Amino acid sequence: MTTFVQVLINGLGVGAVFGLLALGFVIIFKATEVVNFAHGSLALFGGYLAYQVKDSIGWFGAVIVGVLSAAILALAIERLLISRAKHASHDSLAIMTIGIDTIILADVVRRLGTAAAPFLGDPYDTKSVSLGSLTVSRTYLVALATALVLFTLFFIAFRKTSWGLQMRAQSENKEAAALMGIRSSRVTASAWVVGGLLAGIAVFFLATNDIGGGSGLLSAHTVAFAAFPAAIIGGLTSTEGSVIGGLIVGLTSALGAQYVNYEFGVVAVYLVMLVVLVVRPSGLFGRVDQVRV
Amino acid sequence: MSTDTRNVQPLRVEGVTVRFGGIVAVNDVSFTVQPRTIHALIGPNGAGKSSCFNAITGIYTPASGQVRLGETVLTGTPPHKIARQGIGRAFQNLALIGTSSVLDNVMLGRYSLTKGQFMAYGMRLPWTMRQERAHQDRAAEICDYMGLSHRLHTPAGALSYGEQKRVDLARALCVEPTVLMLDEPAAGMNSSETAMMAALIHDLRDDLGISVLLVEHDMSLVMGIADRITVLDFGRRIADDVPAVIQRDPEVIKAYLGGAPDESGESAEAAAISSEETSA
Amino acid sequence: MSDTEIANPPATPETTGTTPVTARRSTAARVAPLIGWAVLLLVLFLTPVYVPGEWLSVLCWIMAGGVAAMGLTMLIGQAGQFSLGQAFFLLLGGVTYTVLAADGDAEYIGFGLPPLVALIGTIIISGLAGAAFAPISGRLRGIYLGVASLSLVFLGYYLSHELPMLAGSASSGRYAPTFSVPGFDFGETNPQLLLLNVPMGAAERQFWLFAGLTVIAYLVGQGAMKGRVGRGWRAVRDNEAVATVMGVSVPGEKAKAFAISSAYGGLAGVMVVWWYSGLMKPDEAVELGTYSTYTTIALLAMCVIGGLGSLGGAIAGSALVFGLPLALPLLTGSNQTVDASGTAFTPIVITNLVFGILIVLIVLFEPRGLAGLGTRLRNLIRR
Repeated sequence: MTTFVQVLINGLGVGAVFGLLALGFVIIFKATEVVNFAHGSLALFGGYLAYQVKDSIGWFGAVIVGVLSAAILALAIERLLISRAKHASHDSLAIMTIGIDTIILADVVRRLGTAAAPFLGDPYDTKSVSLGSLTVSRTYLVALATALVLFTLFFIAFRKTSWGLQMRAQSENKEAAALMGIRSSRVTASAWVVGGLLAGIAVFFLATNDIGGGSGLLSAHTVAFAAFPAAIIGGLTSTEGSVIGGLIVGLTSALGAQYVNYEFGVVAVYLVMLVVLVVRPSGLFGRVDQVRV
Repeated sequence: MSTDTRNVQPLRVEGVTVRFGGIVAVNDVSFTVQPRTIHALIGPNGAGKSSCFNAITGIYTPASGQVRLGETVLTGTPPHKIARQGIGRAFQNLALIGTSSVLDNVMLGRYSLTKGQFMAYGMRLPWTMRQERAHQDRAAEICDYMGLSHRLHTPAGALSYGEQKRVDLARALCVEPTVLMLDEPAAGMNSSETAMMAALIHDLRDDLGISVLLVEHDMSLVMGIADRITVLDFGRRIADDVPAVIQRDPEVIKAYLGGAPDESGESAEAAAISSEETSA
Repeated sequence: MSDTEIANPPATPETTGTTPVTARRSTAARVAPLIGWAVLLLVLFLTPVYVPGEWLSVLCWIMAGGVAAMGLTMLIGQAGQFSLGQAFFLLLGGVTYTVLAADGDAEYIGFGLPPLVALIGTIIISGLAGAAFAPISGRLRGIYLGVASLSLVFLGYYLSHELPMLAGSASSGRYAPTFSVPGFDFGETNPQLLLLNVPMGAAERQFWLFAGLTVIAYLVGQGAMKGRVGRGWRAVRDNEAVATVMGVSVPGEKAKAFAISSAYGGLAGVMVVWWYSGLMKPDEAVELGTYSTYTTIALLAMCVIGGLGSLGGAIAGSALVFGLPLALPLLTGSNQTVDASGTAFTPIVITNLVFGILIVLIVLFEPRGLAGLGTRLRNLIRR
């Protein structure tokens, strides 16, 4: 029983991180209809710069550098590449982000080299805390708490501020939103920035022994991959769905890894996704578009 | 194109209802396209004309009612098998493959008349080559009739709008239909082009001896060539008669004038109906 | 957007009415490709005489990737079905061939079938596996289908580790026989064969085998895409309603496209096993290795770089994505594929940067990829 509760907490902690990534991914998709396959690279890039400056400016400074650099990279991708390819279809743009992802991944991994595995979770990584009879790693608790705060902030902003209103309007109908005076390019850019910020925060939990495993930041990109099934399970058009999808993915992989084996934990996520897609082809909370003939 | 005697059967739409969720797009609509007539389906935007077309071609499944061609029940037939029954359809939004040649686009119309799967074509079995040549010749003949013979090997996307319309029509004719369905054939055309299209539709019916069912907003075209008109409004059939009677039908005039007032196109149509009436 | 489509209007419009209407092109236009093919086949036949063995090996690897990419590019570019699952079918093909062709023993399951039978069986089984995915692929669109098919790669990775009696252990793998037909063995130098006084050893014979399979795969795909099947697929890709009204069964053709693409993937998987001298070995990580998510992305990259839907482009893409990492060390004379310090530009890093940048540039400037560039060049020359 204690194991089970422990696994649940671990799963929720990992799931919260996937939720952060999936939420950013969904925000970008809602604003632009572009599937950002480079999302893992945003996290990796932020993590890499944070790792570079961590020893000289300290961990908190590194967090700020990492998060901001991920956001700036996201903005740069949108401004310099995505917005320039005006005639490309959404599918082509998704393929373009695969190219971007390949470039960033190849170069960051090259720069990191094989010398030492970089870790970014200094204040909480591999430090356990006792909750009654439970012993839980702090990483999961900090991740869960951070994600809860960010989710709350995001949904307040999304529901109550004019930015959120513009975002929602644009995702409903881009032309109508533009006619109502919403500047499409600004909304789009802000979506990429928010996606980058969330990915930049997520990497500080991915590049840990507890979540990313022994190779730290090097495996962050691979682990972040699970954010895609998370977003798909929730439905690409649903922000709430992405959070729930993240938690489902986290719990599935933690339970699978605990009760079958680690490998099964990884594949179970995709099996769950297949089942969800067979039942609901647009994910749990995704919008089904009617095609007009 | 030679005049052939096709076995043209009446197309009967019998009490067809189409629903999307709670919305009734087509409500218990019936009409019959008699053999070798030009039958028009008109009505304000959202009246259910396109849904009706889609119900006939099997894209939408009616909640109730059925569509019959002669004695054959089309409703419930797998939609891709309806073409072989002799239903050809041209599309409002053209939907050509812009990068493919005109011939390749038009040859899609021969799909239901030809056979052969991946390996047969992959191995270039002689009968597939012969079949391909024979059907390409027929497709070229149809293109020639449509005045497209010098465009056969041009990518469809490079053609003018009017030419693309004709490619779309040629593709529908390649099905060798007994009933030709045209979705707004004159959309986006000026008055002289529209007159030419009207003449073409008329010739098609006379030369091929087939029925034509068309949806059209241009009232001059409809009143000029239709043998019979069915009027839909809010999914219901409000009139079904020859043009001269339709022009005087008070309910039809009300539907056009009193419908959605924000649609300028419709009031123009209504004006067209009235003007046809005064001139008649 | 491919070999089957025409980019240029004919120079002289055909006259209407006077001559019988025909869609046929001139005799010259039909004979020229035949001459081209004859020359190409002769060149391929003589290549092993003049090209050293290590380069033949590079060419063989390119062709294995090219066959997998041809299947994928037909699926994506012609039938409009996005897939990130092709690496799974490489794995499935490799394992199936190994199980069918290798002899069974206490450790491994094997049926010891003749290699030709095993090869054909593998292609059919891979195709059926692709068709079995149809209930899922038929329901999904675009990106949902892409990520769903990606799950096949994860599933394959997991199963290959769970079933070492089929796939071999991840540490040492298992062996499948190389190809042979009665009287001629492609894996060994039996019987002895000299061509222009050059002995045709295993590398040379493998090149012939791979070139033969690649040419067949290309011709079959091109024949199908040029005719009725390709028209149906393109209609499904561009507008499902139009396709249906014209008589194309949309779910049926989607399933067939997936099956064909998978069969190509299966064939390529067999070629991969042959290329490793018969070694079938599961990857040690899901994101890096022969059947990994990396390979699945690399195969997609080949299709995009070559121009989606173009069979020739798929091979050109493979030359870049699969060929570069092997060719660079040969060109620079260094045999280091992994640099110890890790920060150097290794061939694989260079390749990844090149294909990443190419994908971005292609989406920005030339959506038809290398095939589109080729068409433009040809048009320039004709002018």
